[in-house]
Amino acid sequence: MTPLNLTTIDFSWLAILPLIALSVGAIVVMLAGTRVDDEDSAALGFIVLVALLAAFLLTMFELGQNTAAFRGSLAVDDYAVFFEVIIIIATALTVAMSLEYAADAGLAGAEYYALVAFAALGMLLMAAAGDLIIIFLGLETMSIAVYALAGFIRRDAKSNEAAIKYFLLGAFSTGFLLYGIALLYGATGSVRLTAIHASIAARTAVNPLLLLGLGMLLIGFGFKVAAVPFHMWTPDAYEGAPTPITAFMAVAVKLAAFAGFLRIFFTSLDPLATEWSPVLWALAVLSMTAGNVIALVQSNIKRMLAYSAIAHAGYALVGMAAANGREAGGAVLYYLLAYAFTSLGAFGVVVALDRGAESHAQIDDYRGLARDHPGLAAAMAVCLLSLTGVPPLAGFVAKFYVFAAALNAGFTGLVIIAVLNSVVSAYYYVGVIVAMYMREGGVAVESMSRRPGLLISIAVGVAGVIALGIYPQPYMGAAVNAFASALGRPALHAVSMLP
Amino acid sequence: MNNSLVTLIGRAMFGPAPLDHTDQAAAIAVACAVVLFAIAVPFASIVTWVERRVWARIQSRVGPNRVGPNGFLQWLADGVKHVCKEDVIPEEADAPLFKLAPYLVVLAFILPWAVMPFSSMLILADLNIGILYMTAITALTVVGVLMAGWSSNNKWSLIGGIRSAAQIISYEIPAGLSIFPAVLMTGTLSMQGLIRAQKWEPYHWFIFANPFCFVAAIILFVSTLAENNRTPFDLPEAESELVAGFATEYSSMRYLFFFMAEWGNMFIAAAILVTLYLGGWQIPRFNWSPALMNLLQFICFLVKVLVLVFVSMWIRGTLPRVRIDQMMSICWKYFVPIGFINMIGTAIWVAFFPHGSRLMEMAMFALALAIVAAFAWRVAYFTRRSRMELYFHPTI
Amino acid sequence: MGPLITFYALALLAIVSAAITAFSRNIVHSAFALFGALAGVAGIYVLLGADFLFIIQIFIYIGGILVVTIFAVMLTQGIADVNVSNRAVGVLPALVTAGVAGGVMFYAIIHSSWYHARPGSATPTTYWIGDAFLGPYVLPFEVASLVLLAALIGAIVISRQEVRE
Repeated sequence: MTPLNLTTIDFSWLAILPLIALSVGAIVVMLAGTRVDDEDSAALGFIVLVALLAAFLLTMFELGQNTAAFRGSLAVDDYAVFFEVIIIIATALTVAMSLEYAADAGLAGAEYYALVAFAALGMLLMAAAGDLIIIFLGLETMSIAVYALAGFIRRDAKSNEAAIKYFLLGAFSTGFLLYGIALLYGATGSVRLTAIHASIAARTAVNPLLLLGLGMLLIGFGFKVAAVPFHMWTPDAYEGAPTPITAFMAVAVKLAAFAGFLRIFFTSLDPLATEWSPVLWALAVLSMTAGNVIALVQSNIKRMLAYSAIAHAGYALVGMAAANGREAGGAVLYYLLAYAFTSLGAFGVVVALDRGAESHAQIDDYRGLARDHPGLAAAMAVCLLSLTGVPPLAGFVAKFYVFAAALNAGFTGLVIIAVLNSVVSAYYYVGVIVAMYMREGGVAVESMSRRPGLLISIAVGVAGVIALGIYPQPYMGAAVNAFASALGRPALHAVSMLP
Repeated sequence: MNNSLVTLIGRAMFGPAPLDHTDQAAAIAVACAVVLFAIAVPFASIVTWVERRVWARIQSRVGPNRVGPNGFLQWLADGVKHVCKEDVIPEEADAPLFKLAPYLVVLAFILPWAVMPFSSMLILADLNIGILYMTAITALTVVGVLMAGWSSNNKWSLIGGIRSAAQIISYEIPAGLSIFPAVLMTGTLSMQGLIRAQKWEPYHWFIFANPFCFVAAIILFVSTLAENNRTPFDLPEAESELVAGFATEYSSMRYLFFFMAEWGNMFIAAAILVTLYLGGWQIPRFNWSPALMNLLQFICFLVKVLVLVFVSMWIRGTLPRVRIDQMMSICWKYFVPIGFINMIGTAIWVAFFPHGSRLMEMAMFALALAIVAAFAWRVAYFTRRSRMELYFHPTI
Repeated sequence: MGPLITFYALALLAIVSAAITAFSRNIVHSAFALFGALAGVAGIYVLLGADFLFIIQIFIYIGGILVVTIFAVMLTQGIADVNVSNRAVGVLPALVTAGVAGGVMFYAIIHSSWYHARPGSATPTTYWIGDAFLGPYVLPFEVASLVLLAALIGAIVISRQEVRE
């Protein structure tokens, strides 16, 4: 028996310490859960918050490294750090929103927080993945945890429906993704993203097998980022899931999916850009148009935000279709960053009205909110205006960058469609603001002073929206540098963005 | 596949020259037939008579003693009787599945014989993954049992089938975990490789190599009892509750198939344990002809297996049946955690003592001897108070 | 010639069983037909010289997943009633989709330049699989256990009995 040669592992603490922090946190939560009463379950939330803080600090050590670990399985670059930081913040805000909500809605229990931590772990893996196996495993860890979270309110038929729809379509899309990965491996002989890039670039003729794998990957990621026509599960899953989990799905899950999507398509499949760019063009147009038009007629705010999330995936795809340089890719990253904070703020307000047991998620419930809770109403208004794309908020700057990048790349038609869509979207976003400020007769909302976690989440979201809108340069610079690092190019120190 | 039974038979049939494809296929077929009809089927049949005699003695009865000397031909009479009976297929049964089920069970009983290491040469195929093959294939029984339970369209059958399947897939886990200690010590999964790593002296058997192996061997033995639906784990066929479990609706040859597979699986389970932990066919080295050596090895292997089979009959005759919740808690709450401890413990042991520890081997062997001696003393104490002639007079 | 015949026999077994799984009107038959599909694939692994994969396919897929699937089918109420369990809906769209997908795949398979592995030999693979799991692929190997842990917790959440006071 030859002894194993363990030196070939290419081990790196740096790359996996954040992951270890999160998994230890999840396991500690499960163990502590056996000793904690349901009323005190907020303590379990704090354990996850501590684990997230540790992961955040450990992630910071990866900044500026631009190496790979585990023989390229795990990338340690600014791109990974960029997404990991957003994902950790989004997860932390989700946990903070849940602290009071979970106890009210009877969701308390170690499993809830442990699954959130596991989902975050999977997302971090997707953000840092250097090969297709890790992307798949990260996606599975994230998805399985979120399937269970979506169905966490077990006595509620809608929550069950959300879980079963999300699970069935999610499993189906995972099948597509896995098939695509297998075909890609069959066509190129490797699962490492860099090796796949080299193999494709070395070839002159396009291999049909490769295109088939590419198509399968597009379908798989299309499901995960909820692009039309793979969006069917989104409204039902978002509506039925516990509201903090809806926020989690709309922000963290979507960001992680985009992290993997962008990484695969820009680092290993970019020689085929002429093949996939038109497909993304079509997906973007469909997502924006269908998302915005259907959102117009929604009466439930969670469904409306679900369709809005579909539309925003479309805007991000606009940037992706057009991305041919690091500024354009950076614009997509910036868009996702802005979208994350805006959505978190908006969903925070939705959580404030939705008390778990009795759900108040109709837009009519928001009538007169401004009189009783001017702060909440203002926060919601800021977030909705940012989603519309009103200056000087984050959404405006993000859309500006993405559209400018698309124009630069010559996608004039696409930009016109996107701008028209933004105008349409204003109607339903402003509808909520009108209800809050000019109508009467909504529901009474409990004082926010009893819910510090939620208050902090909304505050962080709104602060992010305003900061990203007023002073975008450093964040845009970080996004551009992050994207450059994924492509293995040096960072641009002085960021001078377009026209 | 050198030194295997197939080569031997090929040489006997076609001479020493290398075989072409057709000849090799013929040799393989003959070798399989030899193993199957000279060992597997006779064993599974004769053991029914042995088992009934053993139980009878344990229960102070006589047992079948009319057909042939001491009733030895009872198994033949039973076989003829079953073949002559009508093969009833219930009208409401799912006929295709009902007919197929016994064959799947028999398939799972026949396939493992391919890697059965009777001696250093008597083996059909010394697969590189032998022990995994053995455990994986025997677990296929579940599918046949479930099929039988479902297709009979009978509540007793269905409950029996589901109980059996639940039991088999549960106990597969501790059984699988108990294989690892031996595999960890040898670094091979081949049946012959596992046996060659042991020596003929009992204290060099893997069961005594370290405390973890000792526990693992015991867990493996108990788990195989459960996997074969043997008492005290015979809930799937609990006569008092389920008539005959999944076999309730079966008659004639199909019924016989189930029981042939069950008794044959006793041999297979015992052979796994003998291979992994009890030294397999290892005998002292002599300068005798290979044929004689192989015969002695075969006898050694067979004796070890038969002793274990006898112990399992003994257990069946003496222990009461456990409740289903007890059966599940034994598996999941005790055997599985202990199995993991055994695995990790052996891994650590191998890391510290890559060549084993003579001291520990001797200590474990002495412990085992002490246990056996204490047990024998108790048995002697109780048998002294009872009517000896009925227990130990073999020809009544 | 021998391996070729074996291959087609195994492929036939896998495909026919898969077809029974898909088209049988009785879901219990569908579940049992999976046995043939999985066993056929396991046989093909043997032909490819992947001995360890073969036995793991039998161990995990037939001994584990198939049995649990059959359990789930059998423990579902009224499952034998074809109308609730295995209704055929949307036959035409399904046929069109399957036809198009199958055509595309067939075209891709025929016209692709495949990445050829070295011709398979019957050397044991177990050692190298273990080496790969603890060497270059140690991270996926470990992460897979976290996936399973998350799935276990999720399954407990979904299936446990709600304790209400």
